[in-house]
Amino acid sequence: MTSGTVFSIEEFAVHDGPGIRTAVFLKGCPLRCTWCHNPEGQKFGSELMVKKGEQSICGTEYTPEDLVAKLLRNEAIFKMNSGGVTFTGGEPLAQAGFLVRVLELLEGRIHTAIETSGFAPEETFREVLGHLDLVMMDVKLVDQERHRQWTGVSNALILRNLETLIGSGKHFIIRIPLIPGVNDDKANLEATAALLEGAQGLQRVEFLPYHKTAGAKYPMVGREYAPGFDTEVPPRLDVEQFEKRNIKTMIL
Amino acid sequence: MNERLDALRTYLLDKKHHAFVRTSAEAGIADLNEQFEREGTPDQMRSAIVFREMMRCQEPVILPGEKIVLTRTVKDVPFIYTDKEWEGIKSTHYIHERGTVSNISPDYETTVRLGLGARRKEVEARLEDESLDVKGRTFLKSVLICIEALQDLISRYEAKAREAGEDDTAEVLSRIRTEGAGSFREALQLLRAIHFAIWAADNYHNTLGRFEQYMCPYFRHDIDNGVLTREEAFDLLEEFFLTCNKDSDFYPGMQQGDNGQSIVLGGRDAEGNYLFNELSEMCLKASYELRLIDPKINIRVDSRTPDEVFEKGSRLTKIGLGFPQYSNDDVVIQGLIRKGYSEEDARDYVVAACWEFIIPKVAMDIVNIDGLSLAACVKDSLPALKDCKDYEEFYCEVERNIFKEADRICSGHKDLYMIPSPMMSLLMDGTIEKARDISLGCKYNNFGIHGTGLATAADSLAAIKKFFFEQKRFTYDRLLEALEKDFRNDPELKDMLRKEAPKMGQDDDEVDAIGTALLDSFDKALEGRVNERGGIYRAGTGTAMYYIWHARDLGATPDGRTAEENIPANYSPSLFMKQNGPVSVIKSFSKPHLERVINGGPLTLEFDRTVFRNDESIRKLGMLVKTFVTLGGHQLQLNTVSREELLDAKVHPEAHRQLIVRVWGWSGYFVELDECYQDHVISRIEFDV
Repeated sequence: MTSGTVFSIEEFAVHDGPGIRTAVFLKGCPLRCTWCHNPEGQKFGSELMVKKGEQSICGTEYTPEDLVAKLLRNEAIFKMNSGGVTFTGGEPLAQAGFLVRVLELLEGRIHTAIETSGFAPEETFREVLGHLDLVMMDVKLVDQERHRQWTGVSNALILRNLETLIGSGKHFIIRIPLIPGVNDDKANLEATAALLEGAQGLQRVEFLPYHKTAGAKYPMVGREYAPGFDTEVPPRLDVEQFEKRNIKTMIL
Repeated sequence: MNERLDALRTYLLDKKHHAFVRTSAEAGIADLNEQFEREGTPDQMRSAIVFREMMRCQEPVILPGEKIVLTRTVKDVPFIYTDKEWEGIKSTHYIHERGTVSNISPDYETTVRLGLGARRKEVEARLEDESLDVKGRTFLKSVLICIEALQDLISRYEAKAREAGEDDTAEVLSRIRTEGAGSFREALQLLRAIHFAIWAADNYHNTLGRFEQYMCPYFRHDIDNGVLTREEAFDLLEEFFLTCNKDSDFYPGMQQGDNGQSIVLGGRDAEGNYLFNELSEMCLKASYELRLIDPKINIRVDSRTPDEVFEKGSRLTKIGLGFPQYSNDDVVIQGLIRKGYSEEDARDYVVAACWEFIIPKVAMDIVNIDGLSLAACVKDSLPALKDCKDYEEFYCEVERNIFKEADRICSGHKDLYMIPSPMMSLLMDGTIEKARDISLGCKYNNFGIHGTGLATAADSLAAIKKFFFEQKRFTYDRLLEALEKDFRNDPELKDMLRKEAPKMGQDDDEVDAIGTALLDSFDKALEGRVNERGGIYRAGTGTAMYYIWHARDLGATPDGRTAEENIPANYSPSLFMKQNGPVSVIKSFSKPHLERVINGGPLTLEFDRTVFRNDESIRKLGMLVKTFVTLGGHQLQLNTVSREELLDAKVHPEAHRQLIVRVWGWSGYFVELDECYQDHVISRIEFDV
């Protein structure tokens, strides 16, 4: 049986999809975005965490059945409020076997969504996509080299998966973390908007402006926060590139 | 808010109008009590004379830009007894709080409609009855004195307005001195005058009831007949709200801000129509713009209330005033009927100063007469733990202690004495007809008991059930020793109890069932008891300031709480519960049979300000509230806070003068609270994203 590692389950996650939803944070991520505000979600498997001087284990193993049973306790509330469950992380696609099993068990009962970097093998992306009601996918940087520089991986897979997503007819939301001096320039936003122009299933683009509290959790997992850009500068908010292509935007 | 009101708001917040204020001693009326003692004046007359003198010594002032006038210029109300007399009365009577009539919901509607002139004639006509005894006659005369004194003050204000060239204001005053209100402005001015009067009569926690229901006819009339535009009506409404903040520094309460000026919006009529109207919506908007602690807004909702009402309420929640507070008609009305209120009266319920459900016009209930500590009942049962063979047997002991505590509390309310209030009597049903002061009772004379420390009690029992009886992980001696030593000798046990044991608020059916049982026992313990006024006792889930008081002598508890830690305020989870989130909390707290604890007391949820970054999340908060109501929760208050701001406000109070927080059943300015209340607000659980 495939089990999965979860580092947090949050109720009433208001910024992670429609209605009243629970967000499930799957542990482990192949990316190393320097601004990541969930550093405890990067490493696969459980690890030690120190919070306010108290040690705890970050990461809990769940079988798909146990996790589903826990989520279904609120089935009626999700239904009452056009909500559901959102799988996030970490990178949920990095535990695809577990995720697919969970999604199969939830199918037809609860609205499901995912928040992903889009970094996963194409077959995996396609398979998971088939089980979801909504996809929220990041497009952090269009330039391949800069993507590698700031996230540690190439965006080639991500952009191919984005094409698959656009072609699938699924409802989706694109999310852009706005990082000062990294991806908030006009050229990057224009290139991103161009990729999305005319996409049928695109509901809107959500911007997540960088906030310097992102570094708060690094000491808890024994790491130093070194984002490599000036955290004091507020990111540039420029929705024009999207609006002129009739793409709805929202700032979170 | 227009410029006129913005300027008036700033003027009031800067307390510039306090320049006109003097003390009763400076006004020369502070020693009326000595004269009363010398002359043996009956209490009824004393109250009337003090009120008359309070009115006489008011200096009419019209603040810059004011259209709705009356500002208190005598700070304190002289007491009707000398210290010696009062000591004597206290030694032979039960005195509730300050001794004056408080925390009821007066009938403003009738007097606003009929006018002071008609009310005066009604009292005069009643005085013609020759069969009246001396007491009845004295009472009616005392009411007449009050009406005349108030009318006289209105006349002096009218003259002042003329002198200031405020002819419109003078006209309004001239009419409302005798006539019933003929317009929205007159209705608000007359309401202001009456509300002002009961505060000056030394009554307190003077609620405003179903404001939008009794004011709506005047509002509609003016809008429909082109007397006022909507903007003009809105300005007047905002100004009325401002008047509630004018004199509130002088209103008595446990803490600054605890003054009970609540209004209740919404509800449903007998035909099933939801009553939230255009004026209700304006009230929310006015409060949103003014950002002041008064009036405190409640909304009556039920499972069929339209989503947009919850959404509009949430918009107000966002700005962090700590209201609106919601109450669920589906539960409350049934609960009130169960306690003997007529269906018609139950349908008309309002919220008292904090959260207690009361009936306007007809109830002289004392809804906060005492508090029963459920946590202490569990603690007192611990010696029996040693010999109990199972959890059920131990729970019987807990229930016995709840009954014992109810016995003790209820036997304490004997020979109640309340200072008469002819002014308040004028505003309550049947007092003129019966020629009897409201302080002696009304149609309903029920007493309410707060139930404190519910989560502490339920969590303690859950830990005992699971770890002591089922898993046998500690012995009786070990537990008792650790509690005795405040866990200093046994941090391992403390951790087990605190972190591993289930807590109410985590949607754990087992511990929630214990919470349910405790409230059922509490209700059962009060069932069938009759107070000396013929009323019944009502159990509730509020705590008022008992969450500070009861925590002080509780000592460490079996939920892993140490002696110096607080217990939660009202109907809320333990302060150190490991959070699943607000959905689990509302599920846990909607499981008990809440129609049995109808004295009220809300679940409180605190949210970090960042939760409400956009309209979508505000809508979702509305959904969460509606879900609580649909699941059968009875009452909910929400607070939007920022921990950093609260901490900074403790260090730099001068920079946070306007910071508003919900304390227990009311909102107040954070920097004006005693430190223990500040710290409790900070330690409460806060949800962020």
